Amino acid sequence: MGEGSQPDILLEHLFRREAGRMVAFFARLFGPAHLDLAEETVQEAMLRALQTWPYQGVPENAAAWLFRVARNSAIDAIRRRKMQAGEAMLAEIARGDSIREVDPLIEEQLRDDELRMIFMCAHPEISEEASVALSLKTVGGFSVREIARAFLADEATIAQRLVRAKRQIRERGLSIEMPHGEELKQRLDSVLETIYLIFNEGYAAHEGEDLIRRDLCEEALRLGQLVATSSISTPKANALVAMMALQAARLAARVDEAGELVLLEKQDRNRWDRELIGLGFHHFNLSMAGDEVTEYHAQAAIAATHARAGDAESIEWPWILQFYDQLLEINPSPVVALNRAVAVAKVRGPEEALAEVDHLEKRKLRDYYLLLAVRGHLLLELGRTSEAAANFEAALKLPCSEPERRFLRRKLEACRSPSASE
Amino acid sequence: MPLYMLLLHGDPKAWNSLSPEEMQKATERYMAWVKKPFTKDAKRLGDDPGKVIRKPKGSQPRTTDGPYSETKEVLGGYYTIEAASYDEAVNLALEHPQLDYGGAVEVRHVYGT
Repeated sequence: MGEGSQPDILLEHLFRREAGRMVAFFARLFGPAHLDLAEETVQEAMLRALQTWPYQGVPENAAAWLFRVARNSAIDAIRRRKMQAGEAMLAEIARGDSIREVDPLIEEQLRDDELRMIFMCAHPEISEEASVALSLKTVGGFSVREIARAFLADEATIAQRLVRAKRQIRERGLSIEMPHGEELKQRLDSVLETIYLIFNEGYAAHEGEDLIRRDLCEEALRLGQLVATSSISTPKANALVAMMALQAARLAARVDEAGELVLLEKQDRNRWDRELIGLGFHHFNLSMAGDEVTEYHAQAAIAATHARAGDAESIEWPWILQFYDQLLEINPSPVVALNRAVAVAKVRGPEEALAEVDHLEKRKLRDYYLLLAVRGHLLLELGRTSEAAANFEAALKLPCSEPERRFLRRKLEACRSPSASE
Repeated sequence: MPLYMLLLHGDPKAWNSLSPEEMQKATERYMAWVKKPFTKDAKRLGDDPGKVIRKPKGSQPRTTDGPYSETKEVLGGYYTIEAASYDEAVNLALEHPQLDYGGAVEVRHVYGT
């Protein structure tokens, strides 16, 4: 019918964003035991949008429209179910009504609600896995199917996790109120950990659908910023956001046009996202405010050192090695040690790095394809091509993604024609 | 150019399993259809299948529940589109989002157009 004034598409992720905010609002209103009802209320509002917007046009303030419709359906639900404390809920809704739609106060209230919601989802009494799924479902506005796709899990597994988490909230009477004092500090750690896990899931080079993984990184970054820009922010929260932003800036450059993996050093730096790097450095500076050096600080420092280098030759490897030393001290995991070995090779040569990798293999990482890949790479640098080839071959027998497999095969070929070594 | 009516049948409950992101995609796709140059009119009907009125011979008119009570599908809306022929109308209808969300599209020629 060609009404030119109507926009063709809506604001990106409008529904997902608003769903998260609204679920948080209604979860507080109904109480955390009625999380399902909050989700249904929001779903109904979006369904109404689907039924009317194509025919009557998109309302000027689409977010406020969704919120108003959800509020009306909440009123119905409170009356229909004769909910306990229903009168107080109705009064609260009415109070919201009298506030102008774009009032900064209500914006602030929604942000607070969302923050509270993350704290409840990441409650230490809920398992980490369930916290991640519940945060994505409620605050993130992801569906069970989308979460399952991102985690390469089946839908039933994710659905069960969510049911279990909601039952724990009900049975243990977990509160949606913001914690204070010493409890706040601990609970904030769990929140940051949950956000970190969401980010890592999106960032890890597993198989899976790229789009949904990028969405996870974006969502983790959004939640991180929500915490880091709130009144309860800490240097640690800023360090987490810095690390995520600086790493996410490289997402697009990790694969080339042909879909092949590109190592960090060889990435086209023009494809790094300048805006995210700027955001990363902003939060990195804020993260220096205290004395505490956390795992996120060390990781952010490593990412920042890479981001600062204009080209592969000017990467300050001694700095990176030092940050890895710090990181290893805070988190003595074999995976961190393996990553550190790459920096050792740059600073002290492949021989020394190889010794460290061999040591690691004896400890824990025997069947980890990345260890074999790194060792193959170091051996290749030392000109020990047949040993290198044996490592790449062994790595290819272990589970890894298709792009990683192709990468290993290219390395294997390089072993056979050493002149073409990368 | 001749006009054709697209009658959209579907199960209103089919939307319940969609995520917010998918709901937004669906909304955008329907919005795009309403704005197609060949779309002359587009209307949605209520989800409640409503009542059907009949007047059996020799008695008073009677209303019964909608004719779709046995199936989950209801007539959810209608679009009037312009197309050169019935086949072209069908071809256009093949792109309608209704088909991707478990619904059906009935294509009917509007007489005299």
